[in-house]
Amino acid sequence: MAEANQLFREFKIQSVSEFFRRNAAMLGYTGKVRSLTTLVHEAVTNSLDACEEAGIPPYVRVEIEELGDEHYKVVVEDNGPGIPEKYITHVFGKMLAGTKAHRNIQSRGQQGIGISGAVMFAQITSGKATRVITSTGGDEIIEAWVKIDVDKNEGKIVKKEKHPNLKGWRGTRIELEVKNVKYMRSKQGVYWYLKLTAIANPHAHIELIEPDGKLIVFPRSSDYIPEPPVEMKPHPKGVMTDDVYRLAKKTRKNTVRRFLIGEFSRISDKKVDELIEYIAALRLIKTVKDKKLQEQYYQRLMEGDVKSVLRAFKGYTKVVKQVAKLMEKPPEKLTWHEAEEIVEAFKYMKFLAPPTHGLRPIGEENIEKGLKGILKPEFVTAVTRPPKVYSGGIPFQVEVGIAYGGEIPAGFDLYRYANRVPLLFDAGSCVTTQAARSIDWKRYKIDDLDRAPLVLMINVVSVHVPYTGTGKQSIASVDEIYNEIRLAIMDAARRLQTYLSGKHRRLAQVKRRKTFEKYVPEIARALSILTGEPEEKIREYFIRFIESRFTAVEAEDVPVEEVAENA
Amino acid sequence: MPKVKIHREKPKEKFSYDPKKVLKMLDEHARRILEDIKQGKNPHFDIPTRGLSNVYFDEKSRLIRMGDKLSRRYFLNVAHARKFMQTLLIMAYVKRLVSEGKHASLREAYYANKHTIPGTRENTFEDQSESDPIIEDLERMFGVLREEMHITADRRGYIYGDIVIRDGEDEFNASKLGSGGWAVPGTVEHIQFPEINVDYALVVETAAMADRLIEEKYPKKENALIIATQGQASRGVRRLIHRLHYEEGLPIIVFTDGDPYGWYIYSTIKQGSINLAYLSDKLATPEAKFVGMTMDDIKRYGLENVTEKLKGIPPNKKGGPTGDYKRILEEMNYPWFQNKEWQRQLQLALKWGVRIEQQALANKSLEFVAKEYLPEKINNGDLLP
Repeated sequence: MAEANQLFREFKIQSVSEFFRRNAAMLGYTGKVRSLTTLVHEAVTNSLDACEEAGIPPYVRVEIEELGDEHYKVVVEDNGPGIPEKYITHVFGKMLAGTKAHRNIQSRGQQGIGISGAVMFAQITSGKATRVITSTGGDEIIEAWVKIDVDKNEGKIVKKEKHPNLKGWRGTRIELEVKNVKYMRSKQGVYWYLKLTAIANPHAHIELIEPDGKLIVFPRSSDYIPEPPVEMKPHPKGVMTDDVYRLAKKTRKNTVRRFLIGEFSRISDKKVDELIEYIAALRLIKTVKDKKLQEQYYQRLMEGDVKSVLRAFKGYTKVVKQVAKLMEKPPEKLTWHEAEEIVEAFKYMKFLAPPTHGLRPIGEENIEKGLKGILKPEFVTAVTRPPKVYSGGIPFQVEVGIAYGGEIPAGFDLYRYANRVPLLFDAGSCVTTQAARSIDWKRYKIDDLDRAPLVLMINVVSVHVPYTGTGKQSIASVDEIYNEIRLAIMDAARRLQTYLSGKHRRLAQVKRRKTFEKYVPEIARALSILTGEPEEKIREYFIRFIESRFTAVEAEDVPVEEVAENA
Repeated sequence: MPKVKIHREKPKEKFSYDPKKVLKMLDEHARRILEDIKQGKNPHFDIPTRGLSNVYFDEKSRLIRMGDKLSRRYFLNVAHARKFMQTLLIMAYVKRLVSEGKHASLREAYYANKHTIPGTRENTFEDQSESDPIIEDLERMFGVLREEMHITADRRGYIYGDIVIRDGEDEFNASKLGSGGWAVPGTVEHIQFPEINVDYALVVETAAMADRLIEEKYPKKENALIIATQGQASRGVRRLIHRLHYEEGLPIIVFTDGDPYGWYIYSTIKQGSINLAYLSDKLATPEAKFVGMTMDDIKRYGLENVTEKLKGIPPNKKGGPTGDYKRILEEMNYPWFQNKEWQRQLQLALKWGVRIEQQALANKSLEFVAKEYLPEKINNGDLLP
């Protein structure tokens, strides 16, 4: 937790919890249905993350108990690694603390605010502490009641009991009592959230007990446990001055040069030399009075012509040397202005595309398993596009799954995800909705999208998903992402089209065959009267003939000869 | 006025109805279907195409004839399968009728073969409009009359005159059946004429006019046979006219209203019709002549006051031609109306914009048509081709 402690020096401790207490909406606690969903989301996310990091196939059980009017107890239990006693207050009590906060890592959660936000929400609506029962699989089970001291932004255990762990149980169970929320089986409620979560996490077994006692099980459909995401160093194209400035303060490297090479991806010794030239060039260009001439220099710099730009200025070597010196000073001495210069130079330079090994898509096979397992469709397909970059340096990846027919009811449904987390709100402003609607579905044999038994799932994976607002429920319309989503949908839709045309053809074939077969008894009787041959035999001739024609047809997969009568 | 007597000509063809021929046709086609299916071939019927595109006017015989375009009806074709089945059903039915010596009307044939196909909610025939065309298809395919297959149409039309008819075991004189005469049955294939004491047959469009002529004793006085068609001539009547002309040598004279519809009735009797082009050889009588009404009659007999206006819009007016005008223009283009006399009549009708009914002759007197108009025109040979 050293990292967090260090970080918290930047903030006034007292205000963090206080701020979110007053602005619960920013954490997703708005509306009675949504607040409950958010609460469950935070707990389930924590459970899934914990299980994955420990390499355990997740088993998550959610129980919603109605205690009174708009008054519920929410229980979430998992089979995860459990929480060591001394970390309980940190996990549940402190805002902006956690294992992933402020690392450049793809994550489900919201930078460590999540579960402590839930604890706080329970506390401010019901006044009750959150009950935590956990064991790491040792001899004892810890039962603790956790509250948040809002003023100090600290977790407080108000009561603690220890029990012997006779059956060797391991996991975490938390119980939150909340008011001012409502359980509804709507598309923004807990049921829907868990269903979507189950689809995107086929390796998880998820259960829900609704307030009326109904048990709903979303069974595990894949044995594969996704690898936990790895940290990725920021790419120079994707950083802002503030990032460079703050990272420079934190780094353990002893020169700016080593700091840049060490804390960013795609920066080498040679790149730093290049950076020196660019910064020098930029400094010199800024001295030019003639605006038009200045434009020309910027243009040439953009084209990578840094050497000739430098040579255009007298005594440029002096400036280069100055900048070079800057690279050798300790990073904590880096000024805001210098950080600004570095970021500006990055914009003109060329870098290799950022590494994408930190991205953790669900994968085509697992999307198919998830959709198949939960929705029971007759057809399913998935496309995981190769990683791409937006804003010049932020890697992202798009995945799309299509499920069609079977137990899916008529009517188009779009399941939106960001890093596997279902997005239930603000669908209208989401880039995924726009991309899905921009597709000409008729071209893929879907004549009436709004009546088709079709589910489209879209997962946008990125270290930094560009959400449109604080609620993190809608992805901004970034051109690169929009285009990738469209390409992915079209790719999947083409496979659906192939399936549908094959199905139509087979159906038509069966229907056609039946047309002929139903007339055979009539024909046989008439021909028997006309020729005197036994009816039964004639019927056999015709059936055998139809049989042979249709097997031949199926082998070739071409329609039976169709000649208009007057042809 | 010198009387030009019309004489019976020599018979040209023999009546030839042979039920064995129909049975042979049925057997041949059914066996071929069975052979095809045994050999794994898609069985089919070749049926001469119906409709205007497959008829032509044969100048030599002066008949509307059917061309040689065929349409192939396959079993293994979604669009044909049902009709293929229906064709065989009717064929089997015809076989039973003919071998048992029974006759059925078109409607009976429809009901006899209509039933629900087992295991479906589909009927073999949903409507008589499905079975009638199949029967026509068989006529064209086999080149035999529906009547020869023992399927008859509703009877319409009657005859009156000194002619002895043998119908099965009955034999009678058609002038001794009262003023109603003898109703022409749907099929006349089995009828024979042991004795004929008339000089010609007068085919009359309306029953009212036929009744008038009978009342005036025209058949007896003029030695004529009256055949009332009651509108467009039925197949039975057309076949009867054909047989009387070709088997018994009776000249045929047609008497209709002076309007496009009356002239069309004449043209059907004479040249055959598009629908039944394949039967022209058996139904049409190209030697028939036309006595009236003509446009010239209006002037000649002073009937200007009893004409009626043609219906529709004339060709020179906006929106025209429609109705009667359009019909007249069509008839002017018929190959068999390509002669001076007919073109003149049709032109006059267009010019004056009038039509005239047979009954308009009653304006002169009730006896006028029987005593003056018809004898005068017929004996003078004042007839249209």
